[in-house]
Amino acid sequence: MITGQDEAEAARQLREKIAAQFGRSLHIRTLDTGSCAVCEQEIRLLSAPHYDLHRLGFFFTPAPRHADLLLVTGPMVRAFEVAARKAYEAMPGPKMVVATGACALGGVYRPDPFVHGQVGAVLPVDVWIPGCPPSPLALLHGLSVAVGRLAEKTPGLTLIADGQSPGDGT
Amino acid sequence: MPLWFARGLRRGVVTTRYPARPDASAASLPTPPSFRPEKLTRDLVDLMIAVCPGPALRRADDALIFDVGTCTACGRCARAAPYAATPSGEFELAATNRAALVKTIPILGEQR
Repeated sequence: MITGQDEAEAARQLREKIAAQFGRSLHIRTLDTGSCAVCEQEIRLLSAPHYDLHRLGFFFTPAPRHADLLLVTGPMVRAFEVAARKAYEAMPGPKMVVATGACALGGVYRPDPFVHGQVGAVLPVDVWIPGCPPSPLALLHGLSVAVGRLAEKTPGLTLIADGQSPGDGT
Repeated sequence: MPLWFARGLRRGVVTTRYPARPDASAASLPTPPSFRPEKLTRDLVDLMIAVCPGPALRRADDALIFDVGTCTACGRCARAAPYAATPSGEFELAATNRAALVKTIPILGEQR
C-alpha cells in the first residue's frame, strides 16, 4: 500500500529523473491567434543575443509535434479555433499552454461573433503572462515560472502603493 | 560599434544575466499602476474606470477591483490621478492561477 508520503517521494524521484533525462530543455511552439504581432516581436527578441533564451534550455520549434509548450498570443479569433485545437492535440504530453499578452487574457477584445476574447475559452491555460506586450524579461520570467524554476510573484503582490511619490499633488 | 556588441564578443553572447540577476532595462518598462487607497474616492475610481480603455478596472461598492491580467499599462489612470495611481514597476507578473491576477484595493479616501 502506498501512503501519501511514499507517493510524494515517488513523485519527487520521478520529477528528478525527468529533469535529468530531458536536461531541462523545453521546446516552444508559438501560436498567433490574431494578435497585432507586437507580442511576436517581443518573443522574437528572446532569441536575440541580448536575452538569448537558449542559454536557459528553451528552444523554438516550428512543429507542434515537437513542442512541450504552446505560447499563445492574441484574442483567439474564431476562424483560428480549429487550428488552435489541432495544434494543441498534435503536441505530445505532458504539455503546457501559456497565454501571453493582454489580448490572450481577455483585456482588449470582448467575445463577439469574430473573437473568443481570450485563449482560455478554447485551450486549457497553465500560465498567464500579462503585459501589452509582455517584455522579453516578463516572458523569460513567465517561461521560468512555467517550468517551475522561478517562483511566481503575483500572489504576494498587492499593487497598493505606500509612502510618498513624486506625483503626490495633494 | 555599439558597446554591447564589443562586450558580447569579449565575454560571450549573453549580455543580460536575467533572471539570475536583474536587468537594467527593466526600469524603463511600462508597468501596471499601483494605487494609494487613502487617496481613492468613489468618484475618482469611477473616473479611472471611465478613462481605462479595457476591462481592467471595476468598482465593487467600497473596493477597486483591478485585473492586472487585462491591464495594458497604458498609464491613463495614472495620468488622470497621479496622486492616487503610480506605475508599480512590477513586470514579473506571470501567474499559474488566473484569480491571483485580480487584486482588490480598498477605497479609503473621504468623499468630497
